Amino acid sequence: MTLIARDLTVEAGGRPILRGLDFTARSGALTAIVGPNGSGKSTTLKALTGDVAHRGRITLDGRELAAIPPTELAARRAVLPQAASLSFPFTVLEVVRLGLIDGLEAAQRHLPHDALARVGLAGFEGRYYQHLSGGEQQRVHLARVLVQVWTPVTPEGRARWLFLDEPVASLDIGHQIEVMTLARDYADAGGGVVAVMHDLNLTAMFADSVALITDGRCDAQGPPARVLTDDRLSRAYGCRLRLNTPPAGGAVYLLPQAAGGPGEAGL
Amino acid sequence: MPLASPLARIHLALAGALLGIAFAAAAHAQSYPEARRIVSVGGSVTEIIAALGALDRVVARDTTSSYPPRVEELPDVGYMRALSPEGVLSTRPDLVIAEEGSGPPETLEVLRAASVPFVEVPEGFDTEAVADKVRIVAATLGLDEAGEALVRDIDDRLTAARDSARAATGDTPPRVLFILSIQGGRILAAGRDTAAAGIIDLAGGQNAVTAFAGYKPLTDEALAAAAPQVILMMDRSGDHAADDDALFAHPALTTTPAARTGSVVRMDGLLLLGFGPRTPDAVERLSEALAQTVADAE
Amino acid sequence: MSLSVILPLPLPAARTGPGDREVRARVVMITLAALLALTAVASLSTGASGASFGAALSALARGDALDATERVILFDIRLPRLALGMLVGAGLAVSGAVMQGLFRNPLADPGLVGVGAGAGLGAIAAIVLGGLLPAGLAVYLGHYVVPVAAFLGGWATTLLLYRVSTRGGRTSVAVMLLAGIAMGALAGAVSGMLVYIADDSQLRDLTFWGLGSLAGATWTKVLAATPLIGAALVLAPAMARGLNRLALGEASAAHLGVPVQRLKNTAILTVAGATGAAVAVSGGIGFVGIVVPHLLRLLTGPDHRYLLPNAALLGASLLVAADMVSRSIIAPAELPIGIVTATLGGPFFLWILLRNRGVLDL
Repeated sequence: MTLIARDLTVEAGGRPILRGLDFTARSGALTAIVGPNGSGKSTTLKALTGDVAHRGRITLDGRELAAIPPTELAARRAVLPQAASLSFPFTVLEVVRLGLIDGLEAAQRHLPHDALARVGLAGFEGRYYQHLSGGEQQRVHLARVLVQVWTPVTPEGRARWLFLDEPVASLDIGHQIEVMTLARDYADAGGGVVAVMHDLNLTAMFADSVALITDGRCDAQGPPARVLTDDRLSRAYGCRLRLNTPPAGGAVYLLPQAAGGPGEAGL
Repeated sequence: MPLASPLARIHLALAGALLGIAFAAAAHAQSYPEARRIVSVGGSVTEIIAALGALDRVVARDTTSSYPPRVEELPDVGYMRALSPEGVLSTRPDLVIAEEGSGPPETLEVLRAASVPFVEVPEGFDTEAVADKVRIVAATLGLDEAGEALVRDIDDRLTAARDSARAATGDTPPRVLFILSIQGGRILAAGRDTAAAGIIDLAGGQNAVTAFAGYKPLTDEALAAAAPQVILMMDRSGDHAADDDALFAHPALTTTPAARTGSVVRMDGLLLLGFGPRTPDAVERLSEALAQTVADAE
Repeated sequence: MSLSVILPLPLPAARTGPGDREVRARVVMITLAALLALTAVASLSTGASGASFGAALSALARGDALDATERVILFDIRLPRLALGMLVGAGLAVSGAVMQGLFRNPLADPGLVGVGAGAGLGAIAAIVLGGLLPAGLAVYLGHYVVPVAAFLGGWATTLLLYRVSTRGGRTSVAVMLLAGIAMGALAGAVSGMLVYIADDSQLRDLTFWGLGSLAGATWTKVLAATPLIGAALVLAPAMARGLNRLALGEASAAHLGVPVQRLKNTAILTVAGATGAAVAVSGGIGFVGIVVPHLLRLLTGPDHRYLLPNAALLGASLLVAADMVSRSIIAPAELPIGIVTATLGGPFFLWILLRNRGVLDL
């Protein structure tokens, strides 16, 4: 079961943002979209979720994405925006409840609590959303998105999808690992995950497939070990980059790869 | 007219329709000599009822009815154009006499539904209009004779007042500007077809503003061009000397003859503009004031 | 009259967070329904004439005839007035809440979709130019010329604004907001011209119209306003979930399966209809549309599933209560209800705002 985009073209103000981009994501895998600033990463995600007008074809399991009714799509796919706004003083629980699909609420009353616990916000239910820190707010929205597509596979055996736009951008390293592990687990359980990422270390660590976007096109897509090469990254980011190389002179550096699991202080 | 046969009334109605609303209303005036719980709406209507000696039959009045002073003791059913339906009914009226334009229509509809008779008295700003009003009110109250006596009395006094006023001012009637309000430096002046224009004419003056009808804001230039010799205003409580200073401090007024001579006349609004039994007094007082200010100026 | 006095519930503390507000919202709903019933009975029993509704009912039950005046006071004045007050209050409060949800702004009011300015222009035009209507039409409309013109003015303005801000099937809320300001200015200019040519008595009528009143309540007005305001009240619950999700932004709402454009269409058209009808039958009664939803949001949170029905109940009670004050405080005359809502509501609203700064800064 796959999400396939072919020849995506997006223009903004007469300037091309995407120029014939191809992209593929499989269910059961975490697909990361990386690339320098302004390359079209977020626009790619917005085209995939139908938030910007575009040309080209996008299919989900062979069906034209635009032809799927919104309510059906909402039950199959959830989208975490990069910066979520919220008007009115909602509580954390109320925000997460917005993710509950209509009609199933009674059966799902416990879900928002489970989702909050999953993102490390157990006990935050009754607090005002607007009183939380940026990172906490980001995780509230992740919980809301999780509630929307809680089980990675539908009863009919179809995959559900998570679209995450920079899900770890405002998080500390502990929460980055927590959130990426969550996404990883979702994919492992059969769901599809597409995430726009800035952090190449986390990408290399968690992604099954990486799409490197440069200048509105997909430069390469495949397993991290194949796509993330010194040459390709140096060209894409416009500076000399070397993989797996400790800093000269013994400076301190820290890799998420060396961290323990979420919640493990390890002392 | 209450005794007219049905056929005659139809003829009268047809004639009235042809000759104008005021006459039609007069022709239709119903008579309610038994009415003892009257609601009187409109300052001049209430004054006429009082002048006919029938104030003891009135149980309530509207906000504009403030003369004679003892009517202020009666309950007030609101502004004449915004009467409260239950407020009027709560006085248990057996007749409502109201000046033309009273309402709103919804309240009148409720009065009709409650079978309360309603008589509308037409408005007008000349001698004949005053006589018509008095006749209609008198006929409604079943006081036709007293009404005719009052009409004659008013007419005599009004003619006398007007004649002496004209004699005083002669061929050069002073130009009078009536200012309704001067809120925020904007001068709201009386044009043609207003009560103010009517009373100025009767008092031997001439209205300085004839370019428009009704009460409208006047531009500064039009104000200067109107060149009023006398400013006429309604009386308000407060320090008139200070008011006059403020008035003539208005840039457009400083150039007028009235400003040079400081000619301001202030009179009670209802007396001045009511067009009722006191109109002869109003004419007398206004013409005296006009003659005085003109004389002072010279 | 503080709500926290009526309802034995503390307003949410700003710092610790309000907890789960669903139970509270349900309690508030029941309390508000009881409050409305009480206000309605009080309103029927209050008035300048001292006629008693209870006495009339028991007289009717005994089979005694009421005298004409009593019958008119109870059935042609107080009952239609109560019905109209409840309709207008509920309609304005729900319309306000829906608009605030749609524009994602607690200060939005139905005026933003042009209803106020358009209805005002319609009413002013009818008052000043009513004499120019063809005789047949004027007779047919009778003294309903002003409400009909106000409604048509409000509705036409909204449709125009809606057309202007919709491109390719998508309505831009931001364009609508800005175009609404432009249309308001234009309507104000035309109204100004009409005011200039109005005569003295028309000016008085304009002033009183602007202050709002339920004094002209008739069964005809109640019947005319019921379908339009009723439509908004009936459709509001169906919009509640969509409006909740719209708080996340249009894109996020769409990803949650909300048919955003259809929601906008429904919201704008029903609000235009309900507000237009309310303004047409009662003149300019401000304040209810902003204050009622705001109070309820402070009390039970922004969840539209509770906010909308509660706003209808509280709006209806508030207007009926204000009308009671308006017709008894200077009886037998009456104070325009707009003055009552503003003088009682203004300071109270200010006090609520000052007391809840913590929540409002969110």
